[in-house]
Amino acid sequence: MATPMLRARQNSSVERQNGDSDLARHRRRAALRLLGAERAEEIFPVLLEEILALGFSRALVAEVDFESATVRPVASLNCPRPLQDYFRVSLWSDAPVLSALHEFTPATIAYNRNRKLYVHPLIYNNRRPCWEAERDHRSADCLAVLNQNHTRRLSLNEQVCQVCDMRSYAALVAVEVPARGMEREMMELRAVAELANRYLARLFKVEHYFNRMRDMETTIAQLNTVMQSMPDPVILTDAQHRVLLQNRAAARFFKLPEEVTEGLAHAVELNNLLFSAALSSMAVSDAESSRDLTLVDAIEGDEVLFEAVCAPTLTRDGVRVGMVTVMRDVTDLRRADEELRSNYDRLRTAEEVVRQDRDRLNLIVENVGDPIAVCDSNAKFVLLDPLARELFGAEEEDAVRTPEQMKNLARFEAYVTTFTYAFSHKESAPLRLFNPTLQTEVDYDARSGKIYDERGQVSYTVTVLRDFTALRKLEQLKMERRILEIEKFAATGRLAGTIAHEINNPMEAIKNSIYLMGSMVEPHGQPIYDILKKETERVARITRQMLGLYRHSEQVTNVDINSLVEDTLALFARQLERAGVRVENSLKPMPPILGSADQFRQILSNLIVNARDSMPDGGRLRIRTRHVSRPDSVHGTIRITIADTGTGIPPSSIATIFEPFYTTKGERGTGLGLWIVKGILENHSGKIRVRSKVGRGTVFRIELPIVR
Amino acid sequence: MGKSHILVVDDEPSVLLTYRLLLEQQGYDVTAVLSAREAMRILETSTFDLLLCDLSLEEQYSGFDVVDFGRQRDPGLLAALLTGYATMDAAEKAGTRNIPLLFKPIDIEQFFTTISALLGDGNGQAKASGE
Repeated sequence: MATPMLRARQNSSVERQNGDSDLARHRRRAALRLLGAERAEEIFPVLLEEILALGFSRALVAEVDFESATVRPVASLNCPRPLQDYFRVSLWSDAPVLSALHEFTPATIAYNRNRKLYVHPLIYNNRRPCWEAERDHRSADCLAVLNQNHTRRLSLNEQVCQVCDMRSYAALVAVEVPARGMEREMMELRAVAELANRYLARLFKVEHYFNRMRDMETTIAQLNTVMQSMPDPVILTDAQHRVLLQNRAAARFFKLPEEVTEGLAHAVELNNLLFSAALSSMAVSDAESSRDLTLVDAIEGDEVLFEAVCAPTLTRDGVRVGMVTVMRDVTDLRRADEELRSNYDRLRTAEEVVRQDRDRLNLIVENVGDPIAVCDSNAKFVLLDPLARELFGAEEEDAVRTPEQMKNLARFEAYVTTFTYAFSHKESAPLRLFNPTLQTEVDYDARSGKIYDERGQVSYTVTVLRDFTALRKLEQLKMERRILEIEKFAATGRLAGTIAHEINNPMEAIKNSIYLMGSMVEPHGQPIYDILKKETERVARITRQMLGLYRHSEQVTNVDINSLVEDTLALFARQLERAGVRVENSLKPMPPILGSADQFRQILSNLIVNARDSMPDGGRLRIRTRHVSRPDSVHGTIRITIADTGTGIPPSSIATIFEPFYTTKGERGTGLGLWIVKGILENHSGKIRVRSKVGRGTVFRIELPIVR
Repeated sequence: MGKSHILVVDDEPSVLLTYRLLLEQQGYDVTAVLSAREAMRILETSTFDLLLCDLSLEEQYSGFDVVDFGRQRDPGLLAALLTGYATMDAAEKAGTRNIPLLFKPIDIEQFFTTISALLGDGNGQAKASGE
């Protein structure tokens, strides 16, 4: 501070000599010097020098340090320590020096008896608002304007611009002034202080901007680091989609590397093209948008699927100046997603199949009409159909059960437990349970199967309970009837046999006697003898026929049905011809059949004789033989059809024609023909069926299984 | 001397008589007996060219017993069984032993043909002439 003091002394002598013109010159010089200051800190020394040049002896500048809330001298000329310390005060104290600051108006305070201090506040102000306030049309809020116009008094603490967030500086220029006189110098002092404040305000603002710029640069650098270190490509483009900035991850796809191959260049070119196209489509919307983009990794050569998220970059005024695109590599994600989706689809399909199966199964279970119970490996119910629920009660262990259901359950559990631990996969056993519908115990046929888990352990058992009561009754009834039929037949047969036996011996004697008598008969006795012989023969015929069924004298051999038919027809040819019956036969080749030729011959002759007798006025007899292969038998069957155009059988008689002693032929017939036919066929496991229409004719159809 | 000797067994006297008359008329030498026991006794002492025997005889004997008895003494004994009623078993038994079974009432022509066929195969005749 030595030099300024020296210069002040020199200046003060000049002023005193030159009066007003000196003041004017001084002001011009001061203005120029202040204007020459390029940094805010240069202002205060220049100001102090110019004050001293005005003729004042001591001056200092004290600045408010808002952080410590103190005022302290920052520059002084010719000020002794006590004077400087006078300005070292807390902002909260009621030191007289602070009044000028608080009031924002210059003040003169008494320092001691001889001296006064002129204190001039220096605070950021300006006639015009700053650029930001102007741009934002908030001039009224600009701190500079507020401080200039004093439209609103702001305390020191409020000295922060609401527009640009800049804190004002606050300082005091203190000048020792004489108690009287120097009015012109005082005015000049005031003007210089104001001038200095104006320059200070400008420089301060510039420095504020500079600081701001530096902060921004730091921020930009930080952001750039962030961007570069991002693994995802980030690209900043201008309004024409030209790349302004891209990080390293993006460069991999969009920037030609130093060593370039043709394929690589092509890949990069293609990538840029694709990216531009994607940008164009996304730029349509103002908001953030995204789309998928497949690019080629210029280095690895792989195709990479990206999800590009694109956001427009806007100015403060909302003008779009470009776009920021961040691309996320979703190749793996998509692959995983696709896999997940396909797995999900598969699962859904499987689930659907399972559901359908279950529905189908449920439908089956509900419609089986038999009780069904599914049990777990502990023989506890898992699933019951409604019928099973009637037997056992509900599935739940604590379900309410009737005593009968409890009993059923105990029996069933015992059965299922045994089955579960048995080695067999299936079981069928009778199980006696109380049937609630019949209100009695019934033998059910329990059929069970096992369901195994992956380890081959029984996880479930399924049991179907079949109530055979009804079926059994029916079967029994049928059986009884059948047995009755057989019994009847057998009884009839036995009867016939006994009769035949008892008759045949006397008949033998009679017949032999008649034969022996033949030569002894007188001519007039001959007719009687003939009657005797004929009728005896008839009785013999009947008994022989009756016995035919029970006479299995012949060997069972392979019989050719076709030649049997031909033989039998040949035997009856004359008779048939006489009766005017035309014979048509259609005999197809067929395998031989095991049986008694004589008996088959008897069947054929009985049926042929019947046919002949049914056509007293002639007609047509058709005999057909066919070999029918049947899927349910090994060799099939032989079918013989014998059809006549005779009188037919009335429907009322159809049922009785196969019974013994039924005849339409009066004395000529024995009534045993068809009965014998049926008997022989039954002995050979064959069947006979008849269709007849009165006046049209009768058809007998015989089926014989081929047995070898 | 060429007469064949036939033993006829039947438990019905009238039937037996007619058989004897018929066979004698045909020129055979006939011995007729009414029971199996009697037949066996005769078979023990005499030989026959042909045995005609009723299948169902009195008491516990059947025609087979008589034939078997006869064949024990003379294995070449020719035989035919006559019956008014034969069970299937009996018919099969006759079949396996190669004994013709004739069912009463027997057609007289068939009766004669069967007998002459049995005796006329040479063996019976030779035997008969040998007696």
